[in-house]
Amino acid sequence: MATAVVDFTGLLKGIPSGAWVAISERQHKVMAYGADAQAVLSESQEKGEGRPLIVRVPDQEAAMFL
Amino acid sequence: MAKIPYTYVPFPIAACEAHPEGTTAYRPIAVATITASNGESLRWVVLPDSGADACLFPLTLAIMLKLDVLHLPKAMTGGVGSQSNTTYYDTVSIDMGNGIVFDAYAGFTQGMDSVGMGLLGQQGFFEAHNVEFRHSEKIYTIEKILPV
Repeated sequence: MATAVVDFTGLLKGIPSGAWVAISERQHKVMAYGADAQAVLSESQEKGEGRPLIVRVPDQEAAMFL
Repeated sequence: MAKIPYTYVPFPIAACEAHPEGTTAYRPIAVATITASNGESLRWVVLPDSGADACLFPLTLAIMLKLDVLHLPKAMTGGVGSQSNTTYYDTVSIDMGNGIVFDAYAGFTQGMDSVGMGLLGQQGFFEAHNVEFRHSEKIYTIEKILPV
């Protein structure tokens, strides 16, 4: 069985491009989001999610070349 | 050592002149716990990238890990879309679960902030693991190379 990660498509829908997002480890739900990653982490921790996954909504839903 | 399977994740690409119908990019990402040399850790999205010389993360992550970036060793790095970026280095532990844990002398650069995720590059990752991409099945596997 492959290790699956969060379905970001649904979770990040409606969150502005460029925002940092804290996602609950257990419930896979958005705990906080905003422009300041540290503030997003702090807000998530205040809500009881101490170890959220931190992701960033791409600036544009564009193809990516690294 | 077992091959640990991970799944590709679909990312919708918005319609544009080049892709009038929009498209979907399948990216071989995973969630990892990144632990810095100071013991601070965070969960972050990572992407294996054999074209990257080393593991590379957004500078924002270094700050959130409470690393004193101005006192870290630094170098200039380049990549697609940028001429040159100051990159700060720390030895981090990267835990992808299922026994895939390794140390890497990883870079942190502002040029990666717009990407958001971390890249698992040759130094630290590909040099220590066999990685098999099975794009048609949307699965990839990671196998730790045992020291001889």
